[in-house]
Amino acid sequence: MLKILIVDDSLIIRKKIITIVEKLGHEVVGQAKTGQEAIDIYESVQPDLVTMDITMPDMDGITAVKHIMKIDTNAKIIMVTSHGQEDMVIDSIKAGAIGYMLKPITDEKLAEIIGEAFLEYTYSENEDDLELSDDDL
Amino acid sequence: MILDSLILQSKLFFTEDMGIEIDDIAREEDSVDLNLKSHTAMIGVGGELNMMVVISFDDTMLDKLVEVFMEGEDVASEEEEEIKESVTGEVINTIIGLALPTFPKRGKGVTITPPISINDASNIKKHKDSKIVSANIRTHFGELSMSAIIAKDASK
Repeated sequence: MLKILIVDDSLIIRKKIITIVEKLGHEVVGQAKTGQEAIDIYESVQPDLVTMDITMPDMDGITAVKHIMKIDTNAKIIMVTSHGQEDMVIDSIKAGAIGYMLKPITDEKLAEIIGEAFLEYTYSENEDDLELSDDDL
Repeated sequence: MILDSLILQSKLFFTEDMGIEIDDIAREEDSVDLNLKSHTAMIGVGGELNMMVVISFDDTMLDKLVEVFMEGEDVASEEEEEIKESVTGEVINTIIGLALPTFPKRGKGVTITPPISINDASNIKKHKDSKIVSANIRTHFGELSMSAIIAKDASK
């Protein structure tokens, strides 16, 4: 189970992502409405993954990514964006985001991008599964 | 051209993503002002193409959109207004995002502002060097208007 921080100024989008994240068996450890809130919450909740809106009041998602990457160089951040924001997606990736998801958000899209982000994670989990315990021998 | 893009993407969004059939679309190419309905949101598009896009819903249309976005889940009364604002913002954001690549003379480095909700205005008047192009879209669930306030020479 992954700990996920959701950053979006839109309540309806946060609700949608929360529903899907919980359905996928992960835990929502925090929500933020602005980039600055995301930075403030990040350190205290130490999430495994952040879903980050790009266009927000106060501080946009790209600036928030830059700040979070300074706090944690291993942060895993996925941008959630609408069509037509390709330039901003590129800037986000340059800033350290590991991927992006185009709206509308669906169970399948979110599951896929989380899977891609945690290939290494799931692989090592599987390795543990494959290890034989003394009882198995 | 800008209005054509907005109408096309609105049609696709409402019919395909929201499952709401459109009954009629009335265009207005050079309005003096915008008459706003109960719930309005606007987004600024920056860069070479400097414009403001405004979407305005009547109550019944917005109620239907909230129902679709919430996928049947109940809305708590204390969250109702924020949910409505949020849905209005998401709708305009999505339509602009889809229409943007088809806008003429958009250039590079296009920026989109976060959606702004307008609650108490009843109309917006154009500046002398600007032009308002609008489409009034009628559905079974009510009406919405989609308008762009643009420089006079940018509407082609």
